[in-house]
Amino acid sequence: MITLAKVPTVTAAASSDADLISAHAAGDPYAFSELVKRHRDRMWAVALRTLRDPEEAADALQEAFISAFRAASSFRAESQVTTWLHRIVVNACLDRMRRRQTRPTVPLPEAGPGEPVAPRDAMSDRETSLMVQQALMELPEEQRAPIVLVDVEGYSVAETAKMLGIAEGTVKSRCARGRAKLAKVLGHLRNRIADANVPADGVNVQEQRQWEGR
Amino acid sequence: MTGMERVPMGPPWSVDLIADLHAGVLPPEVAAQLRPRVEADADAREVLQALDATLEDLRSLPPVPMPDHVAARIDAALAAEARPGIAPVVSLNDARKRRNRRLGMGGAGVLVAAAAAFGIVLAVSPGAQQQPPANDAAPAPTTKPGAAPPLALKRDELGSAVGEVLRAQNYGPLETPDRLAGCLKGGGITSSGTPLGISPIDLEGKSAVMAILPAGLGKYRLVVLDPATCGPDKPEGVLEDTTVGQR
Repeated sequence: MITLAKVPTVTAAASSDADLISAHAAGDPYAFSELVKRHRDRMWAVALRTLRDPEEAADALQEAFISAFRAASSFRAESQVTTWLHRIVVNACLDRMRRRQTRPTVPLPEAGPGEPVAPRDAMSDRETSLMVQQALMELPEEQRAPIVLVDVEGYSVAETAKMLGIAEGTVKSRCARGRAKLAKVLGHLRNRIADANVPADGVNVQEQRQWEGR
Repeated sequence: MTGMERVPMGPPWSVDLIADLHAGVLPPEVAAQLRPRVEADADAREVLQALDATLEDLRSLPPVPMPDHVAARIDAALAAEARPGIAPVVSLNDARKRRNRRLGMGGAGVLVAAAAAFGIVLAVSPGAQQQPPANDAAPAPTTKPGAAPPLALKRDELGSAVGEVLRAQNYGPLETPDRLAGCLKGGGITSSGTPLGISPIDLEGKSAVMAILPAGLGKYRLVVLDPATCGPDKPEGVLEDTTVGQR
């Protein structure tokens, strides 16, 4: 019988992500699997939180990994492997979101916008997590993707801008809008303040767009 | 900095504007003038605190591990992609030699790396380590099947051939997927679709065929068949049936 034991893998210990992608491009049949194994949980979280549907997330990830497998020669050393891989995953997710835009979205149960889903004090951590996940699902897709990448996954604004192919100012602006909405849905913002319909502070749309472009 | 940007009047300020200030959307010179005024206003300060609390909620979301069935599906898709004729490989032998030089690995290291890449760690006997590594002796996938002798293995060394067999789709004397399915059925082994890898081998001097079947996340079922005797009603044709893995 074959004897098995658990020890750290040689490939994992010996290689950086960049080494693995180079090895893959050079024909090493194991390098890409190792790379995927390292990052798949984080990629899964991004795909699931962006697309909401586990089946779609699985399809998008498979599509993205195969695409990355085939396109490894296009990887340039000046960018991080994780950024490159994330960009492929995010693009696969965005493509799916665009394709389904014609389909009606199923409204999420409970709590309309601006209405806290439950009293904050009475909730366990797990309940809080579920509530935050649910609130994320209420965001428009264009806000959800940057929020997931910047605020949940901890990517920088610059990295996120590269992944999404938009300006850094747009990432910040979409995060700002998304956070304001989440603050309301999560009950952090008192309705009196949140609902105050204050005019746009003399800031016109043109100025706003100038700021976003930065 | 143009010095021309107007600082929004207030209080009050809209939640969106405060969120912009909080997210760094505003030009630095505008933000520098606006921030102290916003922080001096109780309602606006409450909005900033709400945004901080929201960020804290988002950052505290637990990780979401990929479910096993999704990981297995992606592993299988990548394994299929890595098969000869599809993978972007000209010569695996050359690539392997380059990789070995880069990683400073000897022949024995190749075996370990091959197993490690699939989460399989083998305690190979000293005798097995002294043999020429299967990877180096085997033909590159671009060569014709049969151009080199089949892998010579002992019963306790099957795991060392996983990497090599996984890259092959050579039914050898079994010839067809139907014949393979019949032989597996004889051993009570149900498997749908194409095996992850299949190759003729020499099992302790006997001509045989080794097939690798999926067996869950990071696990592989290694089945060795005797092509001379295996069939739907002939369990004796299954010479070995073992599962290896897991990460």
